[in-house]
Amino acid sequence: MAIRLPWSGKDTHKDDPFWDFFVNTPAADPTNSVIELIRNAPAGNIFPTKAELHTPEITSSHVKGMAQYFGAEMTGIAKLDADAPSNPDQLPFAILCAVHADYDPREAKGIGGQMPVQNGLFITFVLSSWVRELGFRATVVRDANTDALAARAGLGTLNGSGRLVTREFGAGVYVADAIYTDLPLAAGG
Amino acid sequence: MSKVETPESKTRTNGHAEFPIPYLGRTVRIVGKFENVDMNQSPHPKNQRGELGKPLFNWYHNTVSKDPLTRVSAPNHFADRRHFLSTVVNQAAKGKINPKKVPVNDPAAMARHIKAVARYVGADIVRIADAHPNFLYAAGGGRYVQDGTAKDEYSSYTPEQMSRKFPYIIMATTAWDYNKLQAHRHLIGDAAYHISQIKGNMILKALEGYIKELGYTALRGVAVPQAVGVASGVGELGRNGLVISKEYGARVHMPDPIMTDLPLVGDQPIDIGVDDFCKVCRKCANTCPTNSIPVGDKVVHNGVEKYKINWLTCYKLRPYVHDHWGSCLTCATVCPYTKPKTWWHNMATSSLHYCPYVLRPVLVKFLKWIDDRFWGLVRNARVTWLGYDSGVKPGEHACTVAGCNASHEKAGAKAVTGSVGYYAPLKENTNRFVKREP
Repeated sequence: MAIRLPWSGKDTHKDDPFWDFFVNTPAADPTNSVIELIRNAPAGNIFPTKAELHTPEITSSHVKGMAQYFGAEMTGIAKLDADAPSNPDQLPFAILCAVHADYDPREAKGIGGQMPVQNGLFITFVLSSWVRELGFRATVVRDANTDALAARAGLGTLNGSGRLVTREFGAGVYVADAIYTDLPLAAGG
Repeated sequence: MSKVETPESKTRTNGHAEFPIPYLGRTVRIVGKFENVDMNQSPHPKNQRGELGKPLFNWYHNTVSKDPLTRVSAPNHFADRRHFLSTVVNQAAKGKINPKKVPVNDPAAMARHIKAVARYVGADIVRIADAHPNFLYAAGGGRYVQDGTAKDEYSSYTPEQMSRKFPYIIMATTAWDYNKLQAHRHLIGDAAYHISQIKGNMILKALEGYIKELGYTALRGVAVPQAVGVASGVGELGRNGLVISKEYGARVHMPDPIMTDLPLVGDQPIDIGVDDFCKVCRKCANTCPTNSIPVGDKVVHNGVEKYKINWLTCYKLRPYVHDHWGSCLTCATVCPYTKPKTWWHNMATSSLHYCPYVLRPVLVKFLKWIDDRFWGLVRNARVTWLGYDSGVKPGEHACTVAGCNASHEKAGAKAVTGSVGYYAPLKENTNRFVKREP
């Protein structure tokens, strides 16, 4: 086992003979992945009594604080176009959560390579459930152009291939599924 | 479900050649006749059947929390079960074992790999125990995965047969957030406990799936978490009945571990001086709101010498405090081992590890003096987090968010000042409604 010094930076797992399998080999049975379990779970009901909220700015900071506690590295709120075809319920805001990605989940198909997706789903599942328990609508939208929405929310800018690039992580960032909601929020990153 | 008794599973005394009495560290010793724990006789299953009285039964089955975050993160107090992630991820595993088994020539390399994987998916502590029949639930009692289900084809196996077929048990666990935990007996402390618990459930499910993808079996609900925790060296068993770890103290979960036939190398129990500390300290026993933690010496229970907490009085408090918090956590919070993961905490636990046994009582008294001096005899810090404030008296409503000018219908309590939180009920209040065992 190679000796790692505290200042030697990121663990590259070069001495691990099984790491490539973990990162790059797609699951032989997709049901072994937590991702499918969470993605296929139906959304619950909206709590009948609305919670007492603070101002939209403070509610936004609480949503971001909650997402950060669930593991999001960056969270932004984008104002949605009410007449957009991807927004049939005409919800006013999208919550965008981004997590750090060592590997691009679009290329690394192993369980390890898909970790940003799993971490993102954990955040969006619990956060959207929490918003519904506050008494407001919250829908996790998988097909939304999340990178563009995240750029609009102020998390970073888009590069030539339409991917989000952030000041902190560069292109090593994965934007989780967007949460469309009618929770009174203030747009911004 | 009745327990199937087989000659092998009934009682075990001094072990035998194949499975000698396991070494569990200095805090726990198997000294007499030991009978495997029937998972159906553990607290939650007993309560599910209504054997612990109506208040607890109703608390478990029929209460919805007033707190939105608790409704999505705490077991059984949701308004809509679909919002609780653990019921989603802890469904019985449908995934098949990969027929293309990944060959393992070096079990030590695989052990390092599986630990790296578990940490990569989010676990804070990962250790491996060599399987032993004493760590497993009694045969025929079914599988125990809280907030979920587990099924496998080995449920008729005896603990001995299981240990032969699946020689390793992996414990991957998550730690609770230190700052939020300071608001024990409060919804903020609950957030520390419950969010890391559902995250831990997801991590274990991911690990279970990955082991199957490697081509090996991964079983859930078969092993007693505390036993695996001390045997694998996650920590040592404290006076408070919690496994106390080196890095995080008592603020770690002991979730349902994974039993596997993946070739690995087991870890050994650790010694961070918990045995020496608990003999002197008693902070948890003195602050426990229900007096469920003993102030006396260890006792022998089911052949195991350990500090024995009264889980029933601990559990029975819950229906009465349901409006204000879910999990008490006081014993974990006041434990001197429960500290932020910092160099000075590491130095303190390392000094206990390396200190000769004869000098430890002196070192313990010194460290406890420091703990009393700087952290206090009880924990009553005022903690604020996202609109929650442990300085607000339970039952009252007050918006203490700086700069908030929204109109709050329920607000109107006196302004909260100072840095001391409101922690109720105290022992004297608890005495009124918790019937003590003689």
